[in-house]
Amino acid sequence: MPEESDRLEQAIRVLKEPAQIDSGLDRRVMAEIESVPVPGAWPHRFWMTLDWLKRGRPVRVSPLGGLAFTVGIAILVLFGREWMTPQEPGAPLATTAQGSVVQFVIVAPAASGVSLVGDFNDWSSAATPMRRVGGNGVWEVTVPLDAGRYRYAFLVDGSTWLRDPSAPPTLDDEFGRPGSVVTIGEL
Amino acid sequence: MGIHDVKGTSDAALVARVLAGETDAYAGLVARYRDRLGRYAVRMLGNEADAEDALQEAFVRGYRSLARCTDPDKFGAWLFAILINRCRTIGKQRARRQQLVVQDEAAVAKASVKHPEERSALRETIEWAVEQLSPTIREAFLLKHVEELSYDEMTTITGAKTSALKMRVARARQELQRLLEEAERAGRE
Repeated sequence: MPEESDRLEQAIRVLKEPAQIDSGLDRRVMAEIESVPVPGAWPHRFWMTLDWLKRGRPVRVSPLGGLAFTVGIAILVLFGREWMTPQEPGAPLATTAQGSVVQFVIVAPAASGVSLVGDFNDWSSAATPMRRVGGNGVWEVTVPLDAGRYRYAFLVDGSTWLRDPSAPPTLDDEFGRPGSVVTIGEL
Repeated sequence: MGIHDVKGTSDAALVARVLAGETDAYAGLVARYRDRLGRYAVRMLGNEADAEDALQEAFVRGYRSLARCTDPDKFGAWLFAILINRCRTIGKQRARRQQLVVQDEAAVAKASVKHPEERSALRETIEWAVEQLSPTIREAFLLKHVEELSYDEMTTITGAKTSALKMRVARARQELQRLLEEAERAGRE
C-alpha cells in the first residue's frame, strides 16, 4: 500500500501528462476570429495610456494648488451627495413568476450616449441603450431579468467603462474592466 | 515567416503583429498555448468537449480583447486568466444543467457515475477523485501542483489572496488523499 504522499505525488504525475485536445481546435479558432474585427491600434493606445495613468509617480503641487484641491474636495463632500441621483440602480421594480424588471440608473452629465452592457445581453454595446431622463445627466433603462447573478457595466460614449457606484463591484472580470454585480432572487 | 514558425518570436512580438493587422500571427500564439491551457481545462472541467469549448472561447475572447493586454510579454498569464474565468462559467452552467437533470429520475439513472470500485485504470480513479473536489479548491490545486505556478502568479491570475490560495491547496491535498485512499480501499474489497 503506497504512503499517502506517494499516492498524491503519483496523482500529480498523472495529471501533468498532456491532455488530448482536438487537432482541429487551432483551425476553428482562426476561422472564428476571421469574422472578428482586427483589434486595432487605437484601443491599444487607449489601454496603454490608461495603464500609464494608473502607475504611481511623485507629484509636485504648489501651496496654492494644494489649497484649491482641498477646497474642491470639501465642496464635493458637502454638496456632492445632493448632485447625485437618489435612485437605487439595480433594485427590482417589479417581480413576477418569471423574474424581475430591474431599473439601472447612472449619472453622466457629459455623455452623449450610454449603453448598459452585461451578461444578460452578451456585453453588446448596441443591445440596451439607456435613455436620458430630464436635464440633470441621469440615464435610465429597465431590463427584465430572470433570477440569477449578473455582471454589468455602463458604456459611456462607446468607449468609457463605468462601474455602478451603488452596486457591489465584480471581482472576476477577465479583462480588468470595471464592473458591478446585480443578484436577482435568492441564489 | 510562416505562421507556425514562431519558436524564436516572443509573445510581445506576435501580439504586436496581430495588432498591426496580421491576423495570422495569432495562430502562433494559439499553437504556443493550446496544449498547456488545454491540459488545465480538461483537468478542471473533467471532459474534453467542455474543455475544448472553454479553450476556443478563451482564445477568441483573447483575440477580441488583445488591445487591452497592456503587458504583451505576459500574454500567456493574461490568457490563462481568461481561460480560468471561462472554466468557472462553464462549470457553473454545467452544475445548473445537472441540477435540472436531477429532477428527472430516468435521466439520473442514465447520468449516474460508476463508483470507483468499478473502474480499473489508475488514471480514471485519479480523474474521478479530482472531479469530486469543489471547483474552488480544484482550481487552486491544479494551478499550484499541475501548472506549477507560484502563489504570486496565482494571485495575479485568480485575484484571490495568497493566504486563501494556500488554504485551498492544503484542503485539496487533504481531500484528494482521502478520496484516493477511499478508492483504493474500495478496489481491494
